[in-house]
Amino acid sequence: MIKSVIITHGNLGRELVQVTEKILEQKLDIETIAFDWQGDGSAMISQLESFIARHPGKKVVIFTDMFGGSPSNISTRFVGPSVEVISGINLPGLLKFFCCGEHNGSFRQVIKKVEQGAKEGINIISEYLGEKK
Amino acid sequence: MIEKKQQIFNKLGLHARAAAKLSHMANMYSADIYLIYNEDKVNAKSLLGILTLAASVGNEITLQAAGVDEQEAIKAIGDLFDRKFDEEG
Repeated sequence: MIKSVIITHGNLGRELVQVTEKILEQKLDIETIAFDWQGDGSAMISQLESFIARHPGKKVVIFTDMFGGSPSNISTRFVGPSVEVISGINLPGLLKFFCCGEHNGSFRQVIKKVEQGAKEGINIISEYLGEKK
Repeated sequence: MIEKKQQIFNKLGLHARAAAKLSHMANMYSADIYLIYNEDKVNAKSLLGILTLAASVGNEITLQAAGVDEQEAIKAIGDLFDRKFDEEG
């Protein structure tokens, strides 16, 4: 079982989680951390350290909203054999992670599937339709 | 391998919540299950795959299943379509 946490600017993460829960009609096992706009990030670091410490021996994925943003930059220091960070998470990415046995496979395989699902969820619709014609 | 033509009855078509229910149900069966719509064929066990169909109300989709429980799978999924994904009272 992979434990997950989402860290974003403001309450974006909480909203994403709530919408995902609405679609899947289930409570998700994920924690949310909102970036404190006024802070220096130390609170986020403490929260992440606490989250990882509470799940010894478990694989952990940290979802962040944007590569290069503070939530992502702070999360990067935790990357290791048991911890991965996926930046730029979106609704398709979360659905991919939480829906329908998508945890099958190795930690790396699951992470790659989520990355792929999130990326494939971004389309210029006119081009997408054009490709299908 | 069996196939079934299935009408889409619910107003919102195969939108996110319907696709979630469909993929969740498909994952309860060991059979390989696909949806075919126009020229596209997607794995019914993939929520995101189903969404790419953008299949709307009034259109017909083909359910395809292959495996030991293919009959049960097609029956259950067909019923879900017929019940309008339980979203219209």
